[in-house]
Amino acid sequence: MRGRSLKNYGTIAAFFAILAVFGCLRPASFLTMKNFLNLTRQMAPLALVALGATFVMTINEFDLSVGSSVSLGGVLAALLSIRGVPVAACFLAAVAACLLVGWVNGFLVARFKILSFITTLGLGTVLDGVIYGLTGGTTVFNGIPKAFTLPGSLRIAGIPFITLAAAGLYLAAYAFMGHTPAGRRLYAVGGNVEAARIAGIRIFSCRLLAFSLCAAVAGLAGALVASRVGSANTTAGQGYFLQAYAAVFIGCTVSKSGVPCVGGTLIGAAVLAVLANGLTILLIPSFLQNILTGGIIILAVIVQKIGAKE
Amino acid sequence: MLLEATGLDKQFNGVYALKQMGLSLKAGEIHGLVGENGAGKSTLIKILGGVYGADSGEICWEGKPLSGRLEAAQSRALGIRILYQENMLVPAFSGVENIWLGRPYPTKNGRILWDVMRQEAETKAAELGIEVNLQAPVMELRPPQKKCVEILRAILGECRLLILDEPTASLSDRETAMLFDVMKRLAAKGTAILYVSHRLEEVLSLTHRITVLRNGETAAVLDTKDATKELLIGHMSGMLTRQPEREPKRQEEGGRNTAKETCRREARPLEVRALSSRDGIVKNVSLTAPAGQITGIFGLCGSGRTELLECIYGCRRIKSGEVVLNGRGIKKSSPSKAVENGMAFICEDRRGKALINGGSLFDNMVLASIGRFSRRGRFLTGEAAAAAEKMQEFLKIKCMGLSQPVEELSGGNQQKAVFARALLTEPSVWLCDEPTQAVDVASRKEIHRLLQAEAKKGCAVVFVSSDLTEILEIADEVAVMAAGTIVARLKNSRLSPKEVLALCYGTEEGRKAV
Repeated sequence: MRGRSLKNYGTIAAFFAILAVFGCLRPASFLTMKNFLNLTRQMAPLALVALGATFVMTINEFDLSVGSSVSLGGVLAALLSIRGVPVAACFLAAVAACLLVGWVNGFLVARFKILSFITTLGLGTVLDGVIYGLTGGTTVFNGIPKAFTLPGSLRIAGIPFITLAAAGLYLAAYAFMGHTPAGRRLYAVGGNVEAARIAGIRIFSCRLLAFSLCAAVAGLAGALVASRVGSANTTAGQGYFLQAYAAVFIGCTVSKSGVPCVGGTLIGAAVLAVLANGLTILLIPSFLQNILTGGIIILAVIVQKIGAKE
Repeated sequence: MLLEATGLDKQFNGVYALKQMGLSLKAGEIHGLVGENGAGKSTLIKILGGVYGADSGEICWEGKPLSGRLEAAQSRALGIRILYQENMLVPAFSGVENIWLGRPYPTKNGRILWDVMRQEAETKAAELGIEVNLQAPVMELRPPQKKCVEILRAILGECRLLILDEPTASLSDRETAMLFDVMKRLAAKGTAILYVSHRLEEVLSLTHRITVLRNGETAAVLDTKDATKELLIGHMSGMLTRQPEREPKRQEEGGRNTAKETCRREARPLEVRALSSRDGIVKNVSLTAPAGQITGIFGLCGSGRTELLECIYGCRRIKSGEVVLNGRGIKKSSPSKAVENGMAFICEDRRGKALINGGSLFDNMVLASIGRFSRRGRFLTGEAAAAAEKMQEFLKIKCMGLSQPVEELSGGNQQKAVFARALLTEPSVWLCDEPTQAVDVASRKEIHRLLQAEAKKGCAVVFVSSDLTEILEIADEVAVMAAGTIVARLKNSRLSPKEVLALCYGTEEGRKAV
C-alpha cells in the first residue's frame, strides 16, 4: 500500500500556516476559545452546503440549484414558524421540501439524461421564482417566534448547537461515503458511469440519492441560518453557492486521487471560514478579502495539479 | 538506419521499465516489437513519442544524435506518428475533422474549406481502400472503423515512422488483412513501421525484423525469416524450452465427464430465443450456451456479436425475443439484474466501460460486489480486501498493492482485474467480448485456462473473439454470426478456419473472399 504524497498534505499544511499567521498577528483576539467556537458556528452553514455539494460532485455532476435550496429551506422554515408550526416540524418540513427538490433534480438528470448543469440551472431558477412568490421579495422576520431562533443560538456545554449539528452530519457522511454500499456506489458512478452500469450498479438510484442528499442538507443549512439570524432572506443562499463549491474543490486536493471527499470538504470549508474570520479581525476591507480568498482557491488547485504531474 | 536508440533507461518509482534497451529501425522496414506484460513496450513507444523522457541513453535519427530529451513536438516534426492502443479521437468531430486534427486547416479569408479537407481525406481513404463514413461523428463508428480514421490521420502528413500499438486487437481477419495491405504499401514508400502486437502469427507474417523485449531489456533482435513462434515465446519468457502457446484442444473428453461430478455451482444454461434488438442490429438470434462448455461466437466486424452480448446482458434494448436462464425467462433485463442472475460480462471496451481509471485496483475489483460485501448497510472493507487479495494472488495480478491506481497496470493485468471483479460475483454465465484483447501471451493463456476451469465447474461460457484461431483453440462449439444473426453452429472438432470464414463471407460477400 502506498502512502499519500506530499501534495495531499499541502492543503492541510497551508491551513495550519494560515492559522499560524493570524495567530501571530492577533493572538489576543484570534487564538481564543471564544473566537474558535464562534468560527465553527459561522462556518457550519457553509460546511453543510459544501457537504451537500460533495455528494453530487462525487458522482461527477453539479447542482447549481444548491443556493436556491438554502434559501428555500430558510424561507419555508421561517414562514411555517410564523404560522405557529412547532419548530421541529418547521425544520423537518424545510428539509423534506428540499429533499423533494433534489429528488426532482436527480430524476430529471437520470431519466432524461440531461446535463446536470442545465437541469439544476433550470430548476434553481424555478425555485428562485417560487421563493420570491412566497416572500414577495422581502426578508421574512415579522412575527418569527422566539422558539424558532433557539436552534441557532442554543449552546450545549458552551458549544453552539449549529456546530454540533454540522459535526454530527459530517461524521455520518464520512461513515456513509466510506463504509456503506451506497457510498461506495456513488464513488463508483463518479469514477466511470459506464463501468459502474456494466458492473450491475443502478445508476438511476445513485443519481436520485446524491441529488436528494445534496438538496436536503442545503435546506437544513438554510433553516439553521434563518434560525441563527432570526430572519429569512429571499436570496440568502446565493452567497453560499460558490463558496460551497470552492470548499469542495479545495477538498479534492486532499484526497489521493483528486476526487471529492468528506474530510477534504471540511478542510476546504475551514480554510475559507478561517480566512474570512481572520481577515475580518485584521480589519482587511472586504474587497481585499475576496481577492485573497479567490487567489488562495486557485493556488490550491494549481499546487495539486503540479503535484499530480510528479 | 532511420532510428537508432541505444542504452535507454527509464525508471518509475525506482523500478526499471527500460534497462539499457536498444532498438534500430531502417527506413522502409516493418519491424515487430514483442514482449510480455510490462516488458517495456508501451514505455518505449511513449519515449519515442516524447511523452516520457528517458533517464539516460541516446536516440539517433538518420545517424545524427538528438540532443536532450525528445519532446512531443520534436517527435511529430521528425515524422514519428503513433497509434496508441486506445483511440485518441474527438468523439463529436467527424472523421474528416479528426483526420485533420493537429494540422492547420485549409482556409480562405479565415473561413475553413471543409470541401478541401473532405476531398483530401477521402482521397487518402480511397488510396488505402478504407471504406468508412468520414462525415459522421466518430462516436458513431465501431472500434475498427475508428482505427481506420486514426491511421488516416497518421499518414495524412509526412510520416517517416509509424508506430502501431496492438492495432488489430479489435479487428476482424478481413480488416486486419486490409490494414496489413496499407502497412506494406506505406513501407514500400520508405516509411518505417514499428508494429507492436501480441499476435505472433501476425508479427511473423508481416514484419522484416523483430525485436523481443524482456523485463525492459532487448532480449533478441531477429530476422523474421529465421524466427518461429516458439523461438519468440522462448525469448519473451526467458525460457527457450517453454511449451508452444497453442495446445491441442479437445484433449480430455473423459476429463470433462468426471468434471461434471465435481461441479460446484448449479448448472444454469443460457438460452436465447428469437432475440432482436430495438435498433435492428441483432436480428432474430436463437442460441443456447450449455453449462459446462465454451460457446464461441465468431463473426466479422459489424456482424452484431458485441450487440448480441449487450442484449443478453441487458444493456441494449430488446425489441422481441427472450433470454432464458436455467429455464426461467428474464423480464425487463438490466445489467444489475444480470449480475444478480449470475451473469458476468467482460466487455470489449476495457478503458471506456470496464475500468474506473482514477480508481485503485481494489475499487475496480470489488465494483460489482459492493452489495455482496455489505452487511446491514455497512460495507465490510476488511472482508472485501481479503477476498480481493486472494483474487489478486489467484490471478497473479502484478501490482504494487491493491491501492495502486489501476491505470498504472499493464493491459494484461488490467484485464485480469476485470476478471477478478467478475469472479468475485461468482457468476454462472460468462459473456466475454474479446477478453484477450491487447493482452500478452502469458495472460491470454491464463485467461483461457480460467474460462476453461469455469466451464468445468458448470458455468456456461460465451466467448466472442475476432481472432478465429483463438476461437478454434478454446471453444467447444462455434456459432458463426453474420449480418446480425447466427448463420451456423458447428462442433469444434477438426474445424478449419477456412470453413468458418466461408460461412461468414458466404452471406456477406458472396464467397469471393474464400
